[in-house]
Amino acid sequence: MNLYNPLKVVPPLVTGLWTTFKSTLKKPVTIQYPEVKRPVRERYKGRHELKRYDNGLEKCIGCALCAAACPADAIFVEASENIDEKRFSPGERYASTYEINMLRCIFCGYCEDACPTEAIVLGDNYELSFTDRSQAIYTREMLLDPVPAGGEPTPREVEPGSFDRSIPEMKDPA
Amino acid sequence: MNALRESYGQEIDQILAKYPDDEKRSAVMPLLFVAMRKDGYVNKQDLEDIGEIIGRSSTDVASILGFYTLFHDKPEGKYRIQVCNDLPCALRGADEYLDNLCDNLGIRPGETTEDGVVTLEAVMCLAACDKAPMFQVQDYNGVAYHENQTVESTMQLVESWRAEGGKDA
Amino acid sequence: MTEAVENQVEEQAQPEEKLVTLTIDNIEVSVPEGTVLVDAAKKIGVDIPVFCYHPKMEPVGMCRMCLVEVGRPVFDRATGEPVLEEDGSPKIQFGPKLDTGCTVEVSEGMVVRGYTEEVVDARKEVLEFLLTSHPLDCPICDKGGECPLQNLTMRYGPGTSRFIFDEKHHAAKHVPLGEIIYLDRERCIQCARCTRFQDEVVDDPVIGFSQRGRSLEIVTFSDPGFDSYWSGNTTDICPVGALTTADFRFGARPWELKASASVCNHCPVGCNTTVNTRREAKSGGELVIKRMMPRQNEYINEIWMCDKGRFAHHYTQSEERLTQPMVRNEVGELEATSWEAALDLVAEEFKAASDGLVTLAGARLSNEDLFNIQQVTEKLGGKALQNTHMAGGELVASVGVGQGSNLSDLGEGDAILVVASDLEEEAPLYWLRIKQASERGATLVVANPRDTKLSSKANYELRYSYGEEAAAVMALLGSISPKTPGESEAVKKLSRGQEVKDAATAISEANNLVVLYGNEGTGLATSQSLADACANLLVATGHVGKANNGLIAVWDKGNTQGAYDMGLVPSEDLAADLMSAKAAYIVAADPAGDDATLAEAIKAVEEDAEKFLVVQELFLTESAKLADVVLPVQANTERQGTYTNAERRVQIFYPAVPAPVNVHADYAVAANIAERLDLKLQKVIPAQVMAQIAETVSDYAEVSYTKMAEVEEQWPIISSEDVFYGGTSYENEQGMGQQLQPASQGGESPALSFAQVADAPKVDGLLAVPVTRLYDRGSTVVPTELLSERLTPTSVVLSPDDAEKLSIEPDAEVTVKLNGTETKAQARIEAGVPQGYVLVPRSVGIALNSPSPVEIKA
Repeated sequence: MNLYNPLKVVPPLVTGLWTTFKSTLKKPVTIQYPEVKRPVRERYKGRHELKRYDNGLEKCIGCALCAAACPADAIFVEASENIDEKRFSPGERYASTYEINMLRCIFCGYCEDACPTEAIVLGDNYELSFTDRSQAIYTREMLLDPVPAGGEPTPREVEPGSFDRSIPEMKDPA
Repeated sequence: MNALRESYGQEIDQILAKYPDDEKRSAVMPLLFVAMRKDGYVNKQDLEDIGEIIGRSSTDVASILGFYTLFHDKPEGKYRIQVCNDLPCALRGADEYLDNLCDNLGIRPGETTEDGVVTLEAVMCLAACDKAPMFQVQDYNGVAYHENQTVESTMQLVESWRAEGGKDA
Repeated sequence: MTEAVENQVEEQAQPEEKLVTLTIDNIEVSVPEGTVLVDAAKKIGVDIPVFCYHPKMEPVGMCRMCLVEVGRPVFDRATGEPVLEEDGSPKIQFGPKLDTGCTVEVSEGMVVRGYTEEVVDARKEVLEFLLTSHPLDCPICDKGGECPLQNLTMRYGPGTSRFIFDEKHHAAKHVPLGEIIYLDRERCIQCARCTRFQDEVVDDPVIGFSQRGRSLEIVTFSDPGFDSYWSGNTTDICPVGALTTADFRFGARPWELKASASVCNHCPVGCNTTVNTRREAKSGGELVIKRMMPRQNEYINEIWMCDKGRFAHHYTQSEERLTQPMVRNEVGELEATSWEAALDLVAEEFKAASDGLVTLAGARLSNEDLFNIQQVTEKLGGKALQNTHMAGGELVASVGVGQGSNLSDLGEGDAILVVASDLEEEAPLYWLRIKQASERGATLVVANPRDTKLSSKANYELRYSYGEEAAAVMALLGSISPKTPGESEAVKKLSRGQEVKDAATAISEANNLVVLYGNEGTGLATSQSLADACANLLVATGHVGKANNGLIAVWDKGNTQGAYDMGLVPSEDLAADLMSAKAAYIVAADPAGDDATLAEAIKAVEEDAEKFLVVQELFLTESAKLADVVLPVQANTERQGTYTNAERRVQIFYPAVPAPVNVHADYAVAANIAERLDLKLQKVIPAQVMAQIAETVSDYAEVSYTKMAEVEEQWPIISSEDVFYGGTSYENEQGMGQQLQPASQGGESPALSFAQVADAPKVDGLLAVPVTRLYDRGSTVVPTELLSERLTPTSVVLSPDDAEKLSIEPDAEVTVKLNGTETKAQARIEAGVPQGYVLVPRSVGIALNSPSPVEIKA
């Protein structure tokens, strides 16, 4: 019945149209993705990255604590022994296989928390798309950061005994 | 065969005679001294020989060798300078003296000079606190105390040893 | 009469231990006198944390982790009455300081408190000390996740340390103690569990402490380093990650491992094991065996296992494994084919051969396999043989150790006779348990031609010449009951010594008697008379048909007893048997690879177009290469089955990894052949095969998978929750097995004839005698690379005198002329070897079935 009462219908309609009119004058919030990308927030949790030290050695020591912490069981780690002639990371052990199944990952960041060497970090990349389920498995090579300037790629030969500790020596907290 | 027994057969028998038949392993300490006489240290073959004589494994003998600081398991200098740096000596400048001596000899405590003349060690009280800095030199001929030392006086002594011909003398 | 009654009373009184009642953490518990507090607490589920204490070793009180408050009731000196508190409860006087729970023994009325502030602080401080220089290695440490130090720190430890950071002590990591065990010096907390284990438990003091204080380190001076068959156990009981195995190094994190129960088949002990597996990217995502761990069974292996059992599992996942059935084609080459085609052909040929079928099965097979194979052979009227050089399976079935036996029950007043066996080499766990029985006070009589590791524990050592094994036992029997007939020269000679008479007296006075016979220097014939003689001794002294009494044969293979029970017999002349066969069915045996004369026999079978050779194997062995049909089978880690150990305990092993797609279990292959011969055998479920065995083999009537899977409470209590107490050995949740009753225990009186006693063979020159070495070159051992340096080389062992006579230098290469074949071998010289004899290790490249004359040329 009320619908036929112009006094009840017209004012809200005008209010609505006024809002629309106001918006046409505003700067649009949409951006032209993928040409334009919005920067992510500081603590955004995107695709994982495996970090390197400044000298190029991998931070990951293959301890698999990330895999243990992972609530979605998305990470698979297999370790092997480092030797000075073929060194990947400091210490005795490195990750010879490191895989994350991005279809299982829930980007909770527990892996980051569990990592004793701060090797795995959830980065800014959110562009994860696959055409095949097997593509969703990111391997060590895909996850590893590029070698920083001044660093050397891994594996590399190092002076015997120069990198004998897996976990960086702790500083005196006192 | 047992080289140690061949060289010191009679002496070893005398040592063994002191211990009851089922406790021959107690002879390990004097036997280690015997083994150390020739070269100043006990080598791996000696360990095996002693083990065979007393009926224990060479690892057992090695753990006794390792426990005591007066047994040595590697070749060392002809003269063993043992500097006391316990508290009273340190108060009289033994630490500084030891550091300087190290610099002069080019070795750290526990090491041996390249010419094999001197091994330097830092040890606990030698009961000569009043005459520190001091050190002792100990070998089979006995113990010699060198007291009120300066780095210069010690280096003079070392030079005289070197002049004697060091290790081969 | 009265004396006998008195004895009985004494015997009954013995097992009654005096119980002591005390209170631990407000819970009352009664335990036998002499129990230490840690164990008493464990019994009621109270954990007193420990590092250096281990329930299988003597306490030392080194780590101070077990500090607790101990109070004792106060007694009035004048009256001797306990002093009471006002409320009527006994007054308890607590010690001025804390006591170590691992060294304090229980006493009546004692009160123990493990929760007070003082105790909590003490634990915290002990941990703070231990952690001063412990490296932050947990993420990369193989022990991380099952580490007592880690667990106890989480539970009792401080969150922070008050020690100065810069004084953190650094030491060498990754120090090899030999190629099998690695030491991380930084991680070591100096509890001495490893050195004490090597010294106290297994009598191999090859590792020890050197230096002192913070410089203390574990050293080994043996050659090769850490030269012991038991080294793997030290990694189980190490409360930190200081000792780790090279085999499992960075293999997986413990929490990622799947566990599956198994039984070791390398020797007749039948150690219970746990197979740890994990998917591995390196192997294409396959489930891979990462390590073998002991599984507690206090009847068999307690919580230990030997290094062969621990490491020699790599054959099961070797690249060389056969993956499809093969048939010889027209050109004479083996060609892959389908199972249907292969089995049809086999069945057809078997049918044609009929009673000309000769089956030869190796005793690494399970009872189910052996049963089905035997049934196929029986159906056709063929000969079912097993590949062994040891006789006496029926005797063990008749006078074997009684149901309910446990070698751990043997002690004071009991006697053990070990004949013709280098026990540590033949069955390491039997060596360990016999040694422990001897330490508990059992009289140990060792009869062997030379010194073995067991000799040092022997109360009586009997020496005889190779070939006189049975005579040695008959000499003992002769000294006990003079009625022994038919004395030979050898028996007379051996009876003369005082040692024999004393040993005989000790044996005749023993409450319980267990006789073990091995295969040191024996062939099938001598083994038979030796077994007879041992049985004679047991029957004559009345030590049959009850628990902890009877005969144990230290078989040469894992399931030889099972093979005997399933009706497979050894062949007296294998070459002749094979030659006479119209069709030969060889399963899990490689006669052609073992022995050149047998290879000739098999070649003859192969070359004769009329004859047919089927080999059912894991690998393409020498025999398989000659076969008309090769059938691939599953390894014991890929399937279920049962083994019967030398004490006739039947135990189940379970599948740990999936089998390759196109291979089947031995029992299934045999059943499939049987099907084509119109014989119905079970081929799907091993438990059903066992049901059929129970129907057919009377001794196995009571055996079932359900009963074998039963577990009972065991002491010490081992569980994954408290690795600090017993180590990382697995708890037994999958079954203790079922011990069979020997016929004599069922009331049947054994019908025995006296042993045929031969004199020692007389030869002009040297006599070669076969001996067993643990690390041989069998096809199940060689694929384990880790052990490659420790395997016995193709060698012969000479006495120093003979070596000098022949002017042979130690480890020189010599030519061994034996049974018409010449082999190059290394000459080893050992002081204990009797003059005139050459020891030839089995399965290292020189075939020798029984003592034979030999020529050695430098």
